[in-house]
Amino acid sequence: MASGQDSGTTLMDLITSDPSAAAPNSSPAAAPSTLGKPVNADRKHKKVTLSQIQSDTISAAKALNPAKVLPQKQRRKNPVSYAQLARSIHEFAATADQKSSQKKLVHHVFPKLAVYNSVDPSLAPSLLMLHQQCEDRNVLRYVYYYLARILADSGAQGLSAAGGIPTPNWDALADIDAVGGVTTADVVPRIVGQLSSEALNTEVEFHARRLAALKSLSSASSRSSDILDKLYEIVFGILEKVGDAKQKRKKGIFNRPGGDKESNIQNNLQYAAISALRRLPLDPGNPLFLHRAIQGTSFTDPVAVRHSLAIISDIAMRDPYSVAMALGKLAQPGGALQDILHLHDVLARVSLARLCYMISRARSLDERPDIKSQFNSILYQLLLDPSDRVCFEAILCVLGKFDSTERTEERAAGWIRLTREILKLPEAPSVMSKDKSEDGLPPKPIKEKAAKIRRPQPLIKLVMRRLESSFRSFSRPVLHASARVVQEMGKSRAAAYALGAYDTDEGTQLNTYSEYVDFVDSDQLEGLQPEASRKASSLLNGTGGKDTIASLLASLMEVVRTTVACECVYVRGMVVKALIWMQNPHESFEELRSIIASELSDPAWPSALLNDILLTLHARYKATPDMAVTLLEIARIFATKVPGKIDADVLQLLWKTCLVGAGPEGKHTALEAVTIVLDLPPPQPGSMSELTSVDGVSASDPKSALALQRLVQAAVWFLGENANYAASEYAWESATPPGTALMMLDADKMVTAASSRNPTLAGALTRLQRCAFSGSWEVRIVAVHSLITLAIRSGEPYRLQIYEFLHALAQGGVQSQFSEMKISNGEDQGASGTGLGSLISPMLRVLDEMYRAQDELMKDIRNHDNQKQEWTDEELKKLYETHEKLLDLVSLFCFVPRTKYLPIGPTSAKLIEIYRNRHNISASSGLNDPAVATGISDLVYESKPPPLEKTNSIDPDLAMAWAANLGDGMWESNAPAMDRVNEFLAGAGTDAPDVEEENITSQPSATYDDMWAKTLLETYEAEEDDAKSSGTSSPESTGSIESSISSHFSGLGYPSLFSSRPSGYGVSQQPENKPAAGSRFSNNSYGGSSLEGTSSPIREEPPPYSSPLQRYESFENPLASQSFGSTNDDGNASDNPRFGKALYDFTAGGDDELSLDAGEQVEIEDEVDGWYYVKKRRPGRDGKMAGLVPVLYVNSS
Amino acid sequence: MLLAVLFANSDGNILIERFHGVPAEERLHWRSFLIKLGAENLKGAKNEELFVASHKSVYIVYTMLGDICIYVVGKDEYDELALAEAIFAITSCVKDVCGKPPSERLFLDKYGKICLSLDEIVWQGMLENTEKDRVKRLIRMKPPTDV
Repeated sequence: MASGQDSGTTLMDLITSDPSAAAPNSSPAAAPSTLGKPVNADRKHKKVTLSQIQSDTISAAKALNPAKVLPQKQRRKNPVSYAQLARSIHEFAATADQKSSQKKLVHHVFPKLAVYNSVDPSLAPSLLMLHQQCEDRNVLRYVYYYLARILADSGAQGLSAAGGIPTPNWDALADIDAVGGVTTADVVPRIVGQLSSEALNTEVEFHARRLAALKSLSSASSRSSDILDKLYEIVFGILEKVGDAKQKRKKGIFNRPGGDKESNIQNNLQYAAISALRRLPLDPGNPLFLHRAIQGTSFTDPVAVRHSLAIISDIAMRDPYSVAMALGKLAQPGGALQDILHLHDVLARVSLARLCYMISRARSLDERPDIKSQFNSILYQLLLDPSDRVCFEAILCVLGKFDSTERTEERAAGWIRLTREILKLPEAPSVMSKDKSEDGLPPKPIKEKAAKIRRPQPLIKLVMRRLESSFRSFSRPVLHASARVVQEMGKSRAAAYALGAYDTDEGTQLNTYSEYVDFVDSDQLEGLQPEASRKASSLLNGTGGKDTIASLLASLMEVVRTTVACECVYVRGMVVKALIWMQNPHESFEELRSIIASELSDPAWPSALLNDILLTLHARYKATPDMAVTLLEIARIFATKVPGKIDADVLQLLWKTCLVGAGPEGKHTALEAVTIVLDLPPPQPGSMSELTSVDGVSASDPKSALALQRLVQAAVWFLGENANYAASEYAWESATPPGTALMMLDADKMVTAASSRNPTLAGALTRLQRCAFSGSWEVRIVAVHSLITLAIRSGEPYRLQIYEFLHALAQGGVQSQFSEMKISNGEDQGASGTGLGSLISPMLRVLDEMYRAQDELMKDIRNHDNQKQEWTDEELKKLYETHEKLLDLVSLFCFVPRTKYLPIGPTSAKLIEIYRNRHNISASSGLNDPAVATGISDLVYESKPPPLEKTNSIDPDLAMAWAANLGDGMWESNAPAMDRVNEFLAGAGTDAPDVEEENITSQPSATYDDMWAKTLLETYEAEEDDAKSSGTSSPESTGSIESSISSHFSGLGYPSLFSSRPSGYGVSQQPENKPAAGSRFSNNSYGGSSLEGTSSPIREEPPPYSSPLQRYESFENPLASQSFGSTNDDGNASDNPRFGKALYDFTAGGDDELSLDAGEQVEIEDEVDGWYYVKKRRPGRDGKMAGLVPVLYVNSS
Repeated sequence: MLLAVLFANSDGNILIERFHGVPAEERLHWRSFLIKLGAENLKGAKNEELFVASHKSVYIVYTMLGDICIYVVGKDEYDELALAEAIFAITSCVKDVCGKPPSERLFLDKYGKICLSLDEIVWQGMLENTEKDRVKRLIRMKPPTDV
């Protein structure tokens, strides 16, 4: 506290006084104790009185007028700028021998300089001068501090020639840099040189400086390899002299105050050197490095031991074998590692746990079970550590959790370890407990201390008890960490289940488990500790009735659940994650569901945390695909409760993956879980009644209402895209010939037939139909699109059903049928009832064409049959061209597998096949293959390529899943949601959190400027006017990132099992064709080549449809625009003007709008966001010829 | 890795910040995030009551000491509990330097020494010295063990 005498310095002095002004008279207590040995009592007394006076003065001043106190006082003082501070340092450096200079440096200049985040190199010469000439410890301490900061300002972020680091005070520094002209590169060698020679100085009086120099030097480790080499040399040099602690240890250990001088110096040097070594890059191959680090475990200084263990465990991660060999006897009873168990340093014991884990699991040490079990035993002993940090680390290690890269097997083994192994720990520090399951060796107590012998305990029981007591803690970090440990337990358990290594039920586990324990007990312990053994088994079987793993877990989970009551949302978040991980696929998840539902009703949840939980659902799914349906049900709660806070991309990806994972029997439920949200009543404004009910939608504010609507859109789209998959109903696999359906035109019969044949699809259809009516405009558009997708992909009678529905929709006729479902949203829906006419008509035309072609085909086939004629090539060609044309058309609306899809119906398959074979047309490229188009293929008929007909043998689900880029390949895609999921699964993610815009009360560092650079460090005269802006900051949020929702519907579209970016179109799809998936499927015609092949015709040739469809050309490239037709304004529209008729009178509301009279003919030029830009033949009521009119008011023909 | 140590006053002005291993462009986000956390939770908090938060695989422990909010951010071995150790070392040193839980003014009075203490406690992204007596010695240029 030598320099702590500055208690007389007030804030004003600190902030504003100019050190070049008169010496501060207010610090009489700052006795010039250059050696830092003031008389304690005296100092304390003065300090108390002074600080009291000081605070009294301040509070009095504040009471007068807080706003004006500062400026008034400041006016008397000179401002302190960075430049002035720098100048002061230069001045005082020249007079460093004077006490007054030293005092000012210590009390004024250096503390203020610390305000700046970096120090510019032009100060270095003065600092070095002080370093050489000044002997005042306080000054020197600051000098080392600033030298270290200059060294640490590496090129990456430091004061390069181009400027300084972007700290809030950069402006101040920028000036200096311009003036100074000294670069870091100039000064670093000098600093390093001077500090190095000091670090090598062995004179005793330089001891403290030597340590400080070493510390500062280590900041330079990232500068250059030369400096690094020098550092290694210095550190190893010191360690060579002092590293061998063996003989010194005996005297000096635990004996610090009275230790002799020599050993104290040695201890200090050991600490300084190993601490510096820890900051240097790891040198795993270097035996000397390892040797020095291992020596460090025997050092006296606990921090030194901590660092050396950290180094060793880092090396052990790469090379456990050498570390184990080098550690040798240290791990044995009585060795240094055993002593560390009782070392008073938490992080040292944490490193010890990691070290033990790595060595005891190392494959390379398989031949040395003795070594492994030594380390294993230390690890298990750490489970009893009094520090939660250490104990939890040991639990995580036992569980096989080390970083995020462990393999599933390792985690599974971890769970088995935890549930099956026994800790036998006589309390003597050096008694080794052996684990039977590992090597079968009996325990060999070396130094049996008869005093207290703990009875053997199953690990699981120890861990459970420990966790339960931790969950009763009041400390939030402890609760958070405990929940995290439970989460990791869940992960290991899931891994064990997934591998089937743990196939026995935890309830029946009881028997094997108890037997196992009994076996161990009787076998190993009876002779040795009969009493303990008896106690142990009575504990297991007797006292608490049945302690099964299941019951232990159940009681733990009970405690975990109650932790949800913690007021800290992050603790609750971790608890929810833990619960998700501990949930097993076949258990009831009602409890979890209600917990999550009630949790999500709490508005305190930050969206980042919710998304984290959503990602946890992904991870849980990855670990146990059986959980798909459960997880979807949980995800649904997120969708309905907090639509505005979650990342819809991630949610949709979850839908998609879970749908695939749900398997054949779960698909229906999975689809229901996603789309049941469509059945829920829309949120009633202001109603908060259903907050905790799962089946209510809550959207309390406009933002979440919008998000909810987007989510509904997404769900509708998802339903359309994936209903066929979920229902396993594909047109190209439908057994029903089209003719059958045509005969079922009676709507009622059709519906009955449809729902009896495939309830999943029928249900989806009903939902979509309802959405086509009742949703908002956006939802209706998506619904219609989904319907046409469904129609195209499904066989009969669904297609016909949709056809009829769309037809009626276009005419406005069905409205009455559905009127009871209709929930008015206040929009005028137009004469057609939906305003979707323009959207529907091209869809109807496709279906029309398909049915017409089917009809004709039926007719032709009948004719040919009747006349017993063969099909001529010409006829086949015509048929084939129709087939191709329809395929192209259909592909405009949704993805279909071109090789399999038969727009003219199943009966056409044979004929088309004949034609293809005859003309050597590959199914994938069709007529657009240049070879086919130019007839070349006919010429090279002989060289028929090998048939690509393996498709038929492929399970359709698999094929479709693959088509949708699912499976492994999916995880490599570049969609942002997948990135997020992958990143999460990989445990990455240290990047900064986004801060939501609202409620930011923080004053981001702009105000730091205000406070320090302006308010405090600069003149107050200039500041007075700005005073109001200084305290409370400008509200612009620096960290606000708009939630990504707004982007979801613009480009990336929705997840679909047919891929949201239809692979069939090849639009930017090919680059991400997964190598893995590609090779797996390279032989089938679903392969990349076929999809690629189909892409070219679509892009290069305009679709055969003419004008009305032109505006749908954007569907060619769904990636570019998923605009559902409402925002299409592609250039083609103007090439082929459309005409329309005004349906109603419209009165222009704005300058650019155009009034219309019902019945007027208009030419539609353009469409933007629900508005047409139209031209009329003659001026109307408002005298204008052209302008904007709402789309709904015009019936485009 | 101890990614960040940050001191702020109750208005959310940052008094001291030390980042390690955090890209410059992310620091702004961290600042706002931490300050927002503090603004939402630290009001009325007891001295040295520990609060916890997490973001992805990063942990945050923060507390209130006098008028000063203290935040520490870490990952990997610096989990919630290790950060609690770190923040304990920091608060006890600050209390030691200031003589009591500091007002903002007192904190600024002792600004230089607090920076030096912090330099002994958290050094290059690692927790270094945790005992306040030892830190006290080191900031006076005395070796950890008296010679």
